[in-house]
Amino acid sequence: MLTVSTRFAAAWLSRATQRGRWLDAVCRAGAVACLLCLLAGGQLVWGQTAKSKTAAVTCATCHAGVVANYVHAPMRHAMEAGGANPVLDKHPNLTAQVGGYSYTVQTKDGKSTYSVTNGTETLTLPIKWMFGTHSQTWVLEKDGHLYESYVTYFARGEQLGVTPGDQRITPTNLTEAMGRKLPIWETQECFKCHASGAVEGAKLTLDTLRPGLDCERCHVGAEQHMADAVNDNFKTLPKSLKKMDAENVSNLCGSCHRTWDTVMRNHWQGPAFVRFQPYRLEHSRCFIGNDARISCLACHDPHQSVDHNDAVYDAKCLACHGAGKVAAVALTAGAVTPKICPVSKDKCVSCHMPKVELPGGQAVFTDHFIRVVKAGEAYPD
Amino acid sequence: MCAPEVNSPEESKPAMFFAPISKAVTEGASNSRHFRSGSRSLWGSAWLRVCLLLIACVGAGDGSASAQQGAASFDELAGRAAAARDGGNLSLAIDLYGQAERVKPDWAEGWFYLGMLQYSANAYPAAIDAFNHLLALQPGMPPGMALRGLCEFETGAYDDALQDLEQAVAKGAANQPRNEQILRFHLAELLTRSRRFQDALAQYQFFAAKKIQDDDVLVGMGLAGMRAPLLTKDVPAADREMYQAAGAAGYALLAENTQEADGLFSQLFARYPAAPNLHFFYGFLLFPHTPELAIEQFKSEVAIAPSNLEAHAMLAFSLMITGRYAEAQPEAELVLAKAPDMEMGQLALGRSLAEIGDVKRGTDLLNQVLQTDPDNLEAHLGMASVYSRTGRREDADREHKICRSLAK
Repeated sequence: MLTVSTRFAAAWLSRATQRGRWLDAVCRAGAVACLLCLLAGGQLVWGQTAKSKTAAVTCATCHAGVVANYVHAPMRHAMEAGGANPVLDKHPNLTAQVGGYSYTVQTKDGKSTYSVTNGTETLTLPIKWMFGTHSQTWVLEKDGHLYESYVTYFARGEQLGVTPGDQRITPTNLTEAMGRKLPIWETQECFKCHASGAVEGAKLTLDTLRPGLDCERCHVGAEQHMADAVNDNFKTLPKSLKKMDAENVSNLCGSCHRTWDTVMRNHWQGPAFVRFQPYRLEHSRCFIGNDARISCLACHDPHQSVDHNDAVYDAKCLACHGAGKVAAVALTAGAVTPKICPVSKDKCVSCHMPKVELPGGQAVFTDHFIRVVKAGEAYPD
Repeated sequence: MCAPEVNSPEESKPAMFFAPISKAVTEGASNSRHFRSGSRSLWGSAWLRVCLLLIACVGAGDGSASAQQGAASFDELAGRAAAARDGGNLSLAIDLYGQAERVKPDWAEGWFYLGMLQYSANAYPAAIDAFNHLLALQPGMPPGMALRGLCEFETGAYDDALQDLEQAVAKGAANQPRNEQILRFHLAELLTRSRRFQDALAQYQFFAAKKIQDDDVLVGMGLAGMRAPLLTKDVPAADREMYQAAGAAGYALLAENTQEADGLFSQLFARYPAAPNLHFFYGFLLFPHTPELAIEQFKSEVAIAPSNLEAHAMLAFSLMITGRYAEAQPEAELVLAKAPDMEMGQLALGRSLAEIGDVKRGTDLLNQVLQTDPDNLEAHLGMASVYSRTGRREDADREHKICRSLAK
């Protein structure tokens, strides 16, 4: 008789994941809601062609346009490399006072250090891993253990503040004030979603880490494809992501940005989880898994920077809610007729996808739960 | 008699049953009592803690006819019994409480003290009899049930002990920190013996959370984790080290020292490469945090023990949870071939089939789960996905609403 019940598993799953996972999401403020890959920036090097194998090539050899765009995409910068960190280069001397501890993040000659002092003792550590492209949290190493920094740089106020999820922690010593000790599973998730080559099976392989996400992260098989292409074998193509339905795209993107299933299983509630876009999108009445017009990719190209101009997305909304489309659907027996907005024909997202502040107010996310927002309504879970 | 000792509003419910007892009595009893084989730091004075805290303020009976007739005699006996108890004269106190109960058999407090003193004197059958009288007068009284459960444990009436201890803990008998260790440990032991391993681990989790470490706790945790339905005292000497080491690794993980736990488990795997359920234990502990990492452990387990159905089921379920449906399907098929009614197998196979194309058989299996377990979130998640993927908007909306409701 099996004694491992699914309820138990779910309960443990929930308890285990209640902790803040800010680190996983901190860089995603402006990031797109999906992880469609980028055949660019790959690290594999091989002969340029079967005829000329002497020059080193990358994905860009064949996919130059995509690569050129992806260089600037948020996912490419999910982790910044030490010595090339625009956030800290721009703010070389950050300070904060939290409780009885003073924090200093200093950058000089391309090297950053994180210090915390209680006035008597000071702990200073080098910053090796920088998570995020706008706001930024750091993973620190002390005595062979990895810690999530207790303070985070927030782009919104251009200042340090307590890392979301860590407000519940009251440090009792300098090490706790420095950061939260990360369990092995959390370090794996952090590095898997923010870097490439950092996880091999069940092991963390930080010596082979490459900051940001390579092609292979989404386009599984890209590296094999490159290796075979050297020999003029173009049959081993990565699985096409273009043919995926909205449900599958949500699940792919949600492997880092969190799926609807994940949020439900963990019983996550409240505005702190607005940052998990695939989950919020699936809340929407207009979401249906077999309609590509509502997939993450309908609005976002992960190889590009995110466009914050609301009007850019109007065409996506009107693909279903435009007058002509609605009339056409109305003629189809059994089809659900989309409504036409009686208020406006442009900047749809400014009303139907409101901005939501994270608890603490240090960051704002676009709520991907597309809906008719009523004045004064509470955040809908 | 004994006034309720209420420490705080939060503790008021359990504390209303508790009252202090003379230090002399407890010390005297502690000298006469060998609480457990292998008693060490934790258990050396554990019984004493129970005696200190599981004292019932049960109040005198409301006076039967026989009690009225023997009132003077009863009062005298009760007073002398209390004095003997406070003075540490165990045998005299037992004798006097017995006499008093013969005069006034509905004196609940007397039965409690009589039972507790007999428990302290290792006279378990007599103690059980006293607690039976007490619980007949005050059914379901948590301290009475807890102490009777501990006595039943000592007499080998393990099923009765489990029933009593489980109910007592559920009703708050373990809410006092000092009671909690002894009650949870015995309950965990009994749950392990009854093959309720995950419930046992839930009890052991308390020890890791409170950083209470003890050899017996570690052995017990190892037994529960490795799914060996034994009491710690029944572990063959040759195996004790392995179970203790497994318990130490599990303890480290539950205490959130995950790197240490990973190292300890790795050492165990190297030292006991063929030991069944070692990988399962680690996988089971990892699963709630990271099904991805748990998968590797379950795979190792089924390689060592191909007939381990639970490992196959956990592997299938973990693969399904992580969206590796094509890999989950054959594992789940294997599980259901041997255990067609296993819910975990039905969920894993149902969702996997539905996701990889066999929608009909997949939804049939998910519906099969829902017929017996209508509020099963995992089944509803599967149905929501199927309906969404197949464009059945209204059905998908309905399932989404159910999921949201269940997830609150």
